[in-house]
Amino acid sequence: MEFTLSGNALKTFTRSITCLARIGNELAIQASSTKLTFHTLNSSRSAYLSITFKPGFFDVYTVFGPQMQCSVLLKAICSVLRTPIASIDHLTVLLPNPDASKVQWTLNCHNGMKKAYWITCDVEPHIQNLSLDRTKLPSNFVLRPRDLNRLFSNFQTTLQEITIIATNPTCLPPDAATEIGGKAVELRSYIDPTKENDSALHTQLWIDPTEEFVQYNHIGSPVDVTFGVKESKAFLSFCEGCEVDIQFYFDKAGEPILVVPKFGLDDGSNSTFDATLMLATMLMSQLYTASSSENPQVVGTSYGQANDGRQAPVQERSKGNSGLTSDQTRIWSDLSEQKVAMVLNMEEKEMRTIMSKGNFSKLVRCIYLKLEQLEEICLTFIMTFVVLTKILWNNLKAWYIWMVMLLNTILVTGWMQMMMMMKEMSQSCVFNQHLHIIRNTTAQVVL
Amino acid sequence: MSSSGIEPESPDLVCQLDNVQGVVDALTSVRWKKQQHAVLELSEHGIVLIVEETACLQAKVYLQRELFVKYEYSAEGRPRFGVSLGLFVDCLNTFSVQGHSSAIEIRYPGPDMQLLLKSVESSDSCTYAEIRTRIPDTISWDYNFEPAGSTPLSFTVKSAALKEAIDDLEWPGSSIYLILQPSPPSVTFRGEGHGDLQIDFMCHANTDLLVAFHCDRQVSHRYKYKFLRATTSNIPSSVIRDNRGSKLTIGRGGMLKVQHLVSVAKPAIPHPHVDSSGYQQPSRIAYIEFFVKPEVDDADNANDT
Repeated sequence: MEFTLSGNALKTFTRSITCLARIGNELAIQASSTKLTFHTLNSSRSAYLSITFKPGFFDVYTVFGPQMQCSVLLKAICSVLRTPIASIDHLTVLLPNPDASKVQWTLNCHNGMKKAYWITCDVEPHIQNLSLDRTKLPSNFVLRPRDLNRLFSNFQTTLQEITIIATNPTCLPPDAATEIGGKAVELRSYIDPTKENDSALHTQLWIDPTEEFVQYNHIGSPVDVTFGVKESKAFLSFCEGCEVDIQFYFDKAGEPILVVPKFGLDDGSNSTFDATLMLATMLMSQLYTASSSENPQVVGTSYGQANDGRQAPVQERSKGNSGLTSDQTRIWSDLSEQKVAMVLNMEEKEMRTIMSKGNFSKLVRCIYLKLEQLEEICLTFIMTFVVLTKILWNNLKAWYIWMVMLLNTILVTGWMQMMMMMKEMSQSCVFNQHLHIIRNTTAQVVL
Repeated sequence: MSSSGIEPESPDLVCQLDNVQGVVDALTSVRWKKQQHAVLELSEHGIVLIVEETACLQAKVYLQRELFVKYEYSAEGRPRFGVSLGLFVDCLNTFSVQGHSSAIEIRYPGPDMQLLLKSVESSDSCTYAEIRTRIPDTISWDYNFEPAGSTPLSFTVKSAALKEAIDDLEWPGSSIYLILQPSPPSVTFRGEGHGDLQIDFMCHANTDLLVAFHCDRQVSHRYKYKFLRATTSNIPSSVIRDNRGSKLTIGRGGMLKVQHLVSVAKPAIPHPHVDSSGYQQPSRIAYIEFFVKPEVDDADNANDT
C-alpha cells in the first residue's frame, strides 16, 4: 500500500490523526482499492472512531493486492507529524508488502529536508471493525460545532459524562408551551455516584432545539442518553477544523449513539473522507427509575462488549437516582416534573406502580444479601472451631480448654462480621447519602 | 598566573563590553548541563572560554578583542583560570537590563584572583560583582583537530534546519549516524532505535539548505545522541532567526566539529554596514565551536567509555 498527500488533504489528515490519538492508543489501518480506513477503540471500550478516505483524497493511492491491513501506535504517528504542516510539501506512506514489519512515513519539506520514519507495525490488528446502521437510530439532531462548543462550555471542564434528554416538542399541550418556552432538549451533567466527588458541580441546561440546532428530529416519548464528554470534544474539534456540522443519531438509554459530520448541501457524496464515532451510553436511564435490577444485558446491537465501568454499578444504582436537588434547583425540578408528566401523558397512579415495582425488587435483593451474609458467618464459625480443635487436640481433656476455644471462635467470627459490615456500610453510605431526599420525592417522578 | 612579586598592580585585562546580552547569548549556547566548569584563557587576541565533558565533548567560545569597546591587555603569557559557567552567565545576566545601556567593564585579576565586573555608563547606580576563580585542575585537552585527509570533509547547513533535524532525531532513541556522500551530494543523519529515522539534506539548486559541500568519498560515523544534541540545543533564538549557516566538519578519526556564529551586536543601533541579509562586520560576531568524539564499537577499542 502506498499513498501520497499534500496541501489541504494533509491538513485534514493531520486533524484526523489528532482526533484518533485523543480517543485511542492503537490505530488499525485497512486499505482496499476503494477506500482507506483508520479506526481506533478507546481503552475502556466505550468509544470507537472510524475515518474513511476515498482514493480521490490522495495525490497517489496504490494498493498491492486486494486488501492490506496493519496497526501502529498512534503516539509514533504523532511524533512523525510534529513537524509543522506549513513546512511539509508532501507526505508519503508506504507498506511494501503485507508481511512487512515496518511502515515507512516520508516527509518532504519545502526547505529541501527529507525525513523518513520507519514505524514498527503489527500485521494483525487487534481492533475489529464495528459498524452501526444509522437507519436503525430513530432520532437525530444536527448542530454547528461552535454551538456545541458553547453548550459544552456551560459545564465543568472536568465533566466526564453528560446526559442529553430529548423530548418531542410537538406533543406539548398548548397551555404548557408558554411555561416551558419550547425548551424540548435538556443537557445535564452526569456524576457517577460510585466516585468520590462531593464538591462536584451539577449543571442542567434546557435549550430550544429550533434555536440551537440546525435540525432536530425526535418523535415519541422522551429519551435520554448518557455518554462520554472527552471523546465527543475530540470529535467536535475535528469537525470544527473541517468546517462541517456535527450530527448525532441516537435511540435510547443503553443503545450506542452515532456521531458523524454532516457535509453541506451535497450530502457528503462528493466528499473524499468520512468519519464515524460510536459512543456507548449508560444502561441506566436518568428519566425512569424502573430499569434493569436483574442482570443488565450487554448493549444490544452489533456494538460488542459494553464498558465494564458502566455495567458494574448498575445494580447498586437502582437504589438511588439523580434526585440530587438542592433548594435552588427545586423550582426547576418542579417545573420539569410537570413538563415531563404532561409530556409523558401518564396517570399518577401509573407512576406510583413503577415506583413500587422498583422497591419490591430492592427488598428481594436485601433479603438475598442477608442470607449470603448468614452463610458466611456460619462458615467462619465452623472453620475457626475446627482449626482450634486441631491445635488443642492434646489438651481437650481439660474442660477450660473448651471454654477458651469457644471464646476464641466467637471473637474471630465477630471480628470478621464487623469487617464485612463495615464494608457494606461504606458502600451503602455512598449510594444512600441522599436517601432522605429520595424518600421524599418518590411520590413525584424523579428526573 | 598574573605577574609575580611586588610589581605595581596592573590588572592583566581590563575590557569593556557595550552589549552584555550578546555575550550572554553566546555563552548560553554552550550550557548543556546545570553544573559546568569553564576555563577562560586570556590573550591579546581576545578571550576564549572552554567547556568540556568527560573527554567526549568540548566547546569553545571565541570572543575576539574587536567585540569589545575597550581591551587593555598587559599580562605575560596567557592567564588561565576556571569559573563556574552557570554562575558567570547568571552574573552577566544581572547586568543586562532591558531598555538601558548595559555596558560593563571586566577586570582580571582582582586582589584575590577574582574576576571583577562593574557596570558603567549608568549615572544613578553602580552594579559591582566579584566572581571567585580557581586554578583549572584538569588540563583542557586541546582537541587538536586535524583534517581527515587531503580534501576537507565539510558542509554548511542552515542553523534552524540543523536544530530541527537534531530535535527530531530524539525519537529513535539511539546513536546517530552521520553519512556524507559525494554523488549525489547529500548529508544523511540516521538513527535506529525502537523506530528508524533518516533525515536527508539534499544539495538542490533551488534551495540554499546545504551550501559549501565538500566531500570526495563516502564517510559514515556514529555519535552519541546527547552530545550531538548539546551542540544545537541552546543555540540562541537570534541565530535561528537570522538563520545563518552552521558549518560541520569531520576530522581525523571521525571527530566532528560544529561551528556557529552568534551576533553580539546591539540590535537597536543601526549598524552602517548591515545590509538586508543581516550581514554584519565580522568583529561583531562570536564564534562557537563544538568538538564531538565519535562512538567507536567496543570490540575495536577497549578504553571506549
